[in-house]
Amino acid sequence: MTAIAPDLRAVLAGIADVLIPAAQGMPSATEAGVPEALLDEVVRARPDLAAPLVEVLTAVATDDAATAVARLRAGAVPGFDTVAVVVAGGYLMSPRVMAELGYPGQEAKIVDPDDVIRTLHDGLLDPVIERGPIYRPTPGTGESR
Amino acid sequence: MDVDRVDAVIVGAGPSGAVTARRLADAGMSVVCLEQGGWPDYSKARAGFPDFELVARKHWDWNPNTRRAPGDYPVDDGDSDITALMYNGVGGSAVMYAAHWERFLPSDFRVRTLDGVADDWPVTYEDLEPYFDEVERQFAVSGLEGDPALPPATAPPLPPVPLNKVGRRGAEALNRLGWHWWPGSNAIATKDYGRLHACAQSTACPFGCPVGAKASPDRTHWPDLVADGVRLVTGARVRELVTTASGLVDGVGYVDHDGVERIQRAQVVILCANAIGTPRILLNSGLANSSGLVGRRLMMHPFGNAIGIFDEDLESWRGPLGQHLHSLQFYETDVARGFVRGAKWNLLPSGAPLSMMLPGLWGTEGSWGEDFHTALRARLGRSAIWTVICEDLPDESNRVVLDPDTVDAAGVPGVRIEYRTSENARAMMDFHLTKLELVLREMGATQTILNGHIRASGWHLMGTAVMGRDPATSVVDPVGRCHDVPNLFVLDGSTFPTSSGVNPTATIAANALRCADALVRDRAAQVVPA
Ligand SMILES: Cc1cc2nc3c(=O)[nH]c(=O)nc-3n(C[C@H](O)[C@H](O)[C@H](O)COP(=O)(O)OP(=O)(O)OC[C@H]3O[C@@H](n4cnc5c(N)ncnc54)[C@H](O)[C@@H]3O)c2cc1C
Ligand code: SF4
Repeated sequence: MTAIAPDLRAVLAGIADVLIPAAQGMPSATEAGVPEALLDEVVRARPDLAAPLVEVLTAVATDDAATAVARLRAGAVPGFDTVAVVVAGGYLMSPRVMAELGYPGQEAKIVDPDDVIRTLHDGLLDPVIERGPIYRPTPGTGESR
Repeated sequence: MDVDRVDAVIVGAGPSGAVTARRLADAGMSVVCLEQGGWPDYSKARAGFPDFELVARKHWDWNPNTRRAPGDYPVDDGDSDITALMYNGVGGSAVMYAAHWERFLPSDFRVRTLDGVADDWPVTYEDLEPYFDEVERQFAVSGLEGDPALPPATAPPLPPVPLNKVGRRGAEALNRLGWHWWPGSNAIATKDYGRLHACAQSTACPFGCPVGAKASPDRTHWPDLVADGVRLVTGARVRELVTTASGLVDGVGYVDHDGVERIQRAQVVILCANAIGTPRILLNSGLANSSGLVGRRLMMHPFGNAIGIFDEDLESWRGPLGQHLHSLQFYETDVARGFVRGAKWNLLPSGAPLSMMLPGLWGTEGSWGEDFHTALRARLGRSAIWTVICEDLPDESNRVVLDPDTVDAAGVPGVRIEYRTSENARAMMDFHLTKLELVLREMGATQTILNGHIRASGWHLMGTAVMGRDPATSVVDPVGRCHDVPNLFVLDGSTFPTSSGVNPTATIAANALRCADALVRDRAAQVVPA
């Protein structure tokens, strides 16, 4: 697995906070841990992202963060897709972020097989049924709508 | 008889191959299925884990060119308006499908007679009806009988998936507009059923169902088939058909998972490799093509969607990515609209957040800076997606050809697809998105995003070995037998004369069963190699 060196993590931190700053009660990307523990989790889930990430961070390492983001988004330096998926993907893995959003993260809730049946009792389908068939039958079968 | 010769060899372990294998095995035939991929790795089905979306974007990527799994082969789509999507492994593309289970409608089989375009099928809806009933049992279909958009039919074996808040809101809006809707029909178990478990509503259906609720043949068919003596060979890449001097096929040549060239001999060969994989094998063998139609008439269903964002919490991260409901209100032809044929709509929850925040369907740029938080809060749990599937009419210039420049891992040539979206489908899409914007407003959406003609949407592959009665204008006869090679069959969606405007797998499976049934019935008269 490609290790991401501390100096490149610092580059990522700057970029990540431009992309996801602290606002609206939500933590910034670095406050959520994107360049540190979350980056490790991203790379564990997606080892294929490590090498392209190193490449793009190296390419913008001497820019200040705002310039780096501007160049990446404009396509002057390729690889914005990689940075975007790492930053947003890492951020949305944060338990703190999920809690702030009130997002339980695909908690299992087994389907209720009677849900639609109860809905029918409310009459929700009645108008659809009352309008009758809307398909065109096979010509020659004698059925008509 | 050659001891290694079997009654039938099937190429492809997707829905069409699985249904065919079941029918033949039940009739006592010896069957080998050759599948180029392996078993799905559900340890990578990460719904419920924080890394779900990151893993899904690689391991469950629908495009074989991006995914590059061991079973994949190169598909050059540079000259196509739509990219071809599939899964190559046990279960076939159904490992990835969203499991929306739709029967083609009666008019779909009679488009020439009713609308003066394309071709009628050599069979009717009524011919397929008993087979629809049977495959719905095999694929654990959940739904509600009585849909007025279809002829009266046997109830599916399981009750429908819930409407939840998203579906209910859509249904109420359509009621106010006076338009058709019906609870969704899905190959998703809503109760424990056979080897399947009840759905846990994780919106992960096209990214590897972790629960085992979605009916894909790796779960619904292959374990029992293997137990019943069908030999399933994985990692077996079929290169070409082996012929006899008398113009029959004697079996298939394939490369096994160790790279060894092998031949599997059989009395009949049945291609179930989908509408890209089947013409690839036929073209590479130079067979069954006296009509010149092998690979032509590729249909992929131009696809779009309409996303609504709401002020209220709809818990839209929950639910099956099967469909809550569908609408066929504008399905049948009305020439006053400026196009023929129509499209199906279905309503889906919007699912997990990462896809909403990256460039793609939700915006070409993505939302960054403070807008990231605004967009995330607005969308997550508060959005719903209508999708539009447009009928694709056959056009001989839309086609699959062998690609001289690429080969798969075993050295078998890849393919190139050439496909242009028709003017008819463009007019159709505009009409339907305009109507869906109205529906979203009626549902109370505060923002709408309309995406017409999404390129990465070729999940419905049809038409490249068309069936018909006339050998001059078709590749296979009405039961899937090649006109040119009487012991070679095609039983997947390649044989479809037209595409309908609904998801095809119900009809692919039912048609495979109909043809397999005919093969069994006519077995005594079947010509086989000496
Ligand atoms: C992301 C996605 C979502 C979808 N959603 C829906 C939906 O909601 N509803 C619906 O009705 N349909 C849906 N579909 C389409 C559905 O999956 C297909 O219609 C269905 O799987 C077709 O079945 P099949 O058996 O004919 O072909 P496939 O399932 O494609 O199986 C073909 C098999 O043949 C094998 N094969 C091909 N060539 C060779 C070779 N040379 N040697 C050995 N093996 C070979 C392949 O590896 C593959 O396993 C979706 C598809 C995708 C990709
Ligand atoms: S929503 Fe249901 S069918 Fe879909 S992946 Fe989750 S458990 Fe499986």
